[in-house]
Amino acid sequence: MMPTLTLLNKKQRALIVTILAIVFLMIVIVIGVVLDKESISTNLKHRNASPTFEHPFGTDWLGRDMFSRTFMGISLSIGVGLIGAFGSTLIATILGVISATMGKTADRIVSWLIDLFLSVPHLVTLILIAFTFGGGFKGIVIGIALTHWPSLARIIRAEVMQIRSAEFVQISRKMGKSSWWIATKHIFPHILPQILVGFMLLFPHAILHEAAVTFLGLGLSPHEPAIGIILSESMKYLSAGMWWLAFFPGLCLLFIVRTFDMLGENIRILMDINIDHK
Amino acid sequence: MKKKLFRLLTVMAIVFSLVLAGCAPSKSNQSTEKDVKRETDELVLSIKGEPDTGFDPTTGWGRYGSPLFQSTLLKRDDNLNIVNDLATSYEVTKDGKVWTVVLREDVQFSDGKLLTADDVIFTFETALNNGSVVDLNVLDKVEAVNAHTVKFTLKEAQSTFINSLVVTGIVPKHAYGKGYAENPIGSGPYQLVQWDKGQQLIVKVNPKYYDQKPFFQKITFLFLSEDATIAAAQAGKVDVAAIPASFSKQQVPGMRLEALQSVDNRGIVFPYVKSGAVTKDGLPIGNDVTADSAIRHAINIAVDRQALIDGVLEGHGSKAYTSVDSLPWWNPETVFEDADMNGAKTLLHDSGWKDTDDDGILEKGSLKAEFSLYYPAEDTIRQSLSIAVADMIKPLGINIKVEGASWDTIEQKMFSNAVLMGWGSHDPHEMYDVYSSRYTGVDYYNTGFYKNEKVDEYFEKALAATDSTEAIEYWKKAQWDGTTGLSAIGDAPWAWLVNIDHLYLVKNGLDIGKQGIQPHGHGWPITNNIEDWKWAE
Repeated sequence: MMPTLTLLNKKQRALIVTILAIVFLMIVIVIGVVLDKESISTNLKHRNASPTFEHPFGTDWLGRDMFSRTFMGISLSIGVGLIGAFGSTLIATILGVISATMGKTADRIVSWLIDLFLSVPHLVTLILIAFTFGGGFKGIVIGIALTHWPSLARIIRAEVMQIRSAEFVQISRKMGKSSWWIATKHIFPHILPQILVGFMLLFPHAILHEAAVTFLGLGLSPHEPAIGIILSESMKYLSAGMWWLAFFPGLCLLFIVRTFDMLGENIRILMDINIDHK
Repeated sequence: MKKKLFRLLTVMAIVFSLVLAGCAPSKSNQSTEKDVKRETDELVLSIKGEPDTGFDPTTGWGRYGSPLFQSTLLKRDDNLNIVNDLATSYEVTKDGKVWTVVLREDVQFSDGKLLTADDVIFTFETALNNGSVVDLNVLDKVEAVNAHTVKFTLKEAQSTFINSLVVTGIVPKHAYGKGYAENPIGSGPYQLVQWDKGQQLIVKVNPKYYDQKPFFQKITFLFLSEDATIAAAQAGKVDVAAIPASFSKQQVPGMRLEALQSVDNRGIVFPYVKSGAVTKDGLPIGNDVTADSAIRHAINIAVDRQALIDGVLEGHGSKAYTSVDSLPWWNPETVFEDADMNGAKTLLHDSGWKDTDDDGILEKGSLKAEFSLYYPAEDTIRQSLSIAVADMIKPLGINIKVEGASWDTIEQKMFSNAVLMGWGSHDPHEMYDVYSSRYTGVDYYNTGFYKNEKVDEYFEKALAATDSTEAIEYWKKAQWDGTTGLSAIGDAPWAWLVNIDHLYLVKNGLDIGKQGIQPHGHGWPITNNIEDWKWAE
């Protein structure tokens, strides 16, 4: 008998991994949403407790349950990542299409913008933008949306250019189809996989950057449950031997980011027509 | 794929175990060096307190602790009594406006020149003109009666003027110039050897010092971050280290923990008036919820201060009832029973606060019992206190929304929202600043726009008093005179929470003398009696 895995082809495997990843992420989000503020209220009698069954991730210096804080932080991060990545993808799509279809000048301007944003480290522009918009949730989301689009925009631009000059599009145009018809019926379906995969792959970036910005103390109020804030707080207590403050939240962040990465990869496999159902 | 994941996990496990091992407190044999008792007359301290503007008393140096390089006309002893330093006596006229101070005649600056009335006049005039944190507005003129007698004339009587004589170090007229703050010369117990900004300050004994010569000939002050201070203490590199409460549970070999009682207090200042008005800059004033005295009183009596001390300060603190706890001008009648949830509930119920829509938050008419409490985001203790108090108060049905923000933001919000503030001074004038209607909306003083005419009247009387016991009587009455007052049993414009003990790790065998009640600012005030420090026999 053959092992189960080889019974499935590459696409089927990708499908299973994708479903598992989505289920896992849904569970995390649901946990984060279901926990209400009560569960991270202070309990001054139960401070600095190492992990137990009651508090699987231990408690912090105010007796707040680290499990709840971590999951609320993670779902906040996913929220920020979702809105941020969506914004970025939107910007990337619009700019990519504009530069590929609206002539040389538009192309030059957009390419210059892309180069400009790529030449400065993400984090620096992100901090600047977040700071200008007054910090907080809004600042971070806008910051992430405005900094993560360049590489995706470049891919979309190249993709659109390629499809535009493809024979079937040329023929379609010669046969009198309108630009709108060509854009919606020919070009968009072709770049949709790129957009989706790009969107998924922006996610882990967005989450990590959200964590980085809150870690540096630029984002949210220090009592809010954000993964970066939790990690930067834990630094102070590491020398006191309270390892659980950093270990579990850090590990969770790692898992989430890795899951999104996997999800992106597998969606690419699922959508790639060059990989057949071998 | 599977293999890759496994490899990743293995690498992670190794990295984490290395990190954790690195963090474990090492109990190796580095103590050999530490155990050798240092028979030296040198000290290394890490107690923060580096001044931004250098060592110039006319711009604010040396308000607390030892001014090191300079000396003052009067000083406070370990019991906070005012005693002579450069002065041999002082007199105040009946109307409280003219202060005459007689100076010692044998005092030399470290460069050998005599200290005379001219130097005193020069110091106060410079400080007055600098208009810095040194508040000498009440001073009209300073004159020399003779070479060793100075006459201060005030615009109005102010009994707290004496504090200006306690905290203002005298600078030499002949050696004062542009670079003075970096290169101070004075008549204090020590003189400057070297100052590396942001790193360290090295001082040596001033051989010309007129009073009891300090035991330690050379002192190095390190200006380290909190973490570096702790590391240095653990390595046995410092003799005194200022540490945060979170570290107080750790044993450091060769050092003992000194928890000094303080009036370094933290409390919540409430907007006292109803909303509607705006300041000159257009910032909103007042808050309808906190303007209700039942809300303020209920919070005051419901808060479990001991739980805050144990939970946030690791037990190193004392309950705060006013801004001047345990000081000579504190009125002990202001102490009340706290952690009284039922009392607070009854109080709220009796004044018409009811939960009409069953959401766990009380209402009174259309008003919901909720308000924002701001704290400076970078201050962990204030953050912890804010969250803990909000959670304590929640069962009462009062919803405190906690917001961390920068001071810039707080300055915009502080007149219309509660703020977690801190004060604590050896000068009773601070109580006047914080509670007097004259200081509403001025700097960080009366941000709640508190006003009680009776309290103002006591303040004026206390300032006009010529004798300090009489003044103290009025300061006490301002807090509570039996019917009204600024304390929590009176109008309760604040909910004072805790006084934070100042924690220091002190090398075993080092005697830091008797330390009085410490003022606001953890660190430098410990040097107040640095001349008395010595190795115990």
